[in-house]
Amino acid sequence: MLTVIVYGLAIGAIYAATALVYNVMYSTSKVLSVTTGHIPMLGGVFGAYFIAGLGLPILVGLAGAIAVGVLFNLLTEIVAVRRVLARSDEHLWLLSTLAVATMISQVMALWWGTEPKPFPRLIPQEFAQGIGDQKYWLPVLAAAVCAGSLELFYRRTMYGKLFIATSEDAFAARARGINTDRVRALSYMLSGALGGLAGFAAGQLTFAFFALGFALTLNGFIAIAVGGLGSNLGAVIGGLALGMMSSFATYLFGGEYQQTVAIGILILVLVIKPEGLFGSKQVRPV
Amino acid sequence: MTDRSHILRPVALLAGVAFLVLLPFLVRDQYQLHLAQLIGVYWILIAGLNLVVGYSGQLSVGHVGLLAVGAYAFAILTGRYDVSPVLALGASGALGGLCGLVLGLPSLRLPGFYFAMVTLAFAVIINEQSVAQTELTGGGVGLPAQGFSAPFASPQGFYWLVLGISALVTWLTWNVAHKMWGRAIIAVRDSEVAARSVGISVYRAKLIVFVFSGVTAGIAGALFASLQTYITPDTFVFELGLFFFTCIIIGGRGSILGPFIGTVVLTALPEVVAPLAKLGNFFYGLLLLIVVLLIPEGFGRLLTQAMTRLKPQAAESKVVAPDPARLKAALGTRAGNG
Repeated sequence: MLTVIVYGLAIGAIYAATALVYNVMYSTSKVLSVTTGHIPMLGGVFGAYFIAGLGLPILVGLAGAIAVGVLFNLLTEIVAVRRVLARSDEHLWLLSTLAVATMISQVMALWWGTEPKPFPRLIPQEFAQGIGDQKYWLPVLAAAVCAGSLELFYRRTMYGKLFIATSEDAFAARARGINTDRVRALSYMLSGALGGLAGFAAGQLTFAFFALGFALTLNGFIAIAVGGLGSNLGAVIGGLALGMMSSFATYLFGGEYQQTVAIGILILVLVIKPEGLFGSKQVRPV
Repeated sequence: MTDRSHILRPVALLAGVAFLVLLPFLVRDQYQLHLAQLIGVYWILIAGLNLVVGYSGQLSVGHVGLLAVGAYAFAILTGRYDVSPVLALGASGALGGLCGLVLGLPSLRLPGFYFAMVTLAFAVIINEQSVAQTELTGGGVGLPAQGFSAPFASPQGFYWLVLGISALVTWLTWNVAHKMWGRAIIAVRDSEVAARSVGISVYRAKLIVFVFSGVTAGIAGALFASLQTYITPDTFVFELGLFFFTCIIIGGRGSILGPFIGTVVLTALPEVVAPLAKLGNFFYGLLLLIVVLLIPEGFGRLLTQAMTRLKPQAAESKVVAPDPARLKAALGTRAGNG
């Protein structure tokens, strides 16, 4: 029973971290990128590649995984978001990010292989530790670091305030002399770093697996839709709740129903409270 | 000039239909016929999906779930309960429509990305359940599917069946797209607020089109199962849904010919050019990205633009110049009155 709760907490932490990545990108660009789940996936795969494949020290591997996340997300911004946002068509970004997500997913499948590969042990610890195992606590720690540092960044630093200004009203921010294009690119780099860190920390639980990308895109989105788009607190609570639910669904009904339960929650919340639990209702003035 | 295009269009249409009807006698081997059948089956789904994606602008990536529903319904009905294949085909279509209704009722109220994610989630659920419900679907092992009986049993006969259904579906979608309904859903795509303000029931328009696409997806699924003779959950992966979606976007939204050409090219190209088959989804993703960034209207739009440019323009010159006689008369009467 305790294992079920701890497992749910760990999985939920990964979902929460993915939801935070969604939020950071959404706040400055108003784009929900299909590539979001692929950043933690890249973090996990490249972490395993750097440490187990190339034999680099763990800290270097961590830095490498984060760098890959940053680079990939910056590339996404340049290729798929910047040009599309210049046009007024509403949903083109959905198509362009979907295209990038498909491409990176296929590239990883060809290069890394379609089988999940194990992630190396980060801290020397005996196996069979039960609930004290690092694979459960590292993702939770990483998600806490992500959420905490984001909160500090937004509240205490000048750049954080620029991010908030841009997300509240990009036109007004530009009128006050903020280079919103650069803020957007920076926010993508920041979220890439968060995603890379989360994927690296969660590697032992999820394995280095290319198909994790679309699964996290979907589950991170469910977390954010349940918690409320734009709210970091909502993202964390939504992610943890979703992780708990799918963990208990697996425990009670078997693994085949994990996704079905998660998606059932999503549809239920969207029907009853479309703006999410902690989201603000957006009414478009006509 | 207009007279010529009036003659040309039916001639081109007739030639196209004759080519498609006679195709079984023109192909070199069974494999090419199989490819033609597959294109036809995909097109039945894509023609319906085109109304949703291309005309009403709802980006559904989950129609592969509806295809799976139709395919499993057909395989179970014909294989386990000995229902005649034609009846099972109708039942698959009805079930597809029902699933479309159940999926559309909550999800069509949602804005773009949310809708796309819910349809993706639907495809994931269907895939998961087709593995989980072992006694119904055979689980990961899959199910054999029956072929059609007497007139449609041969490959040629099956091809003509697929051709007939796809022609019917194409005709239906053409009618929807070019009559008042089509105008309404195009208005919904271009601006929901404007559409609502002229009295279009946005939600109802979307829902009806979506249910129709569910019916075509169910029928396509039944034909797909019969064509493949054996179905497993691995067939109905998310990438297939992406493929349908890509065909429409590449062909061009708001056109029927464009997505059709997209379907033909994207289905046949990986079969003909072997290296592309290995890259698979990367190739589709790249095409999608190029089209979205460079020609968001799709290749179909390029085609129509080229056609209008090639057409000999009537050298109609309107000279704007004063007509002295009439001017004088007009001035004269005014002067006389004054």
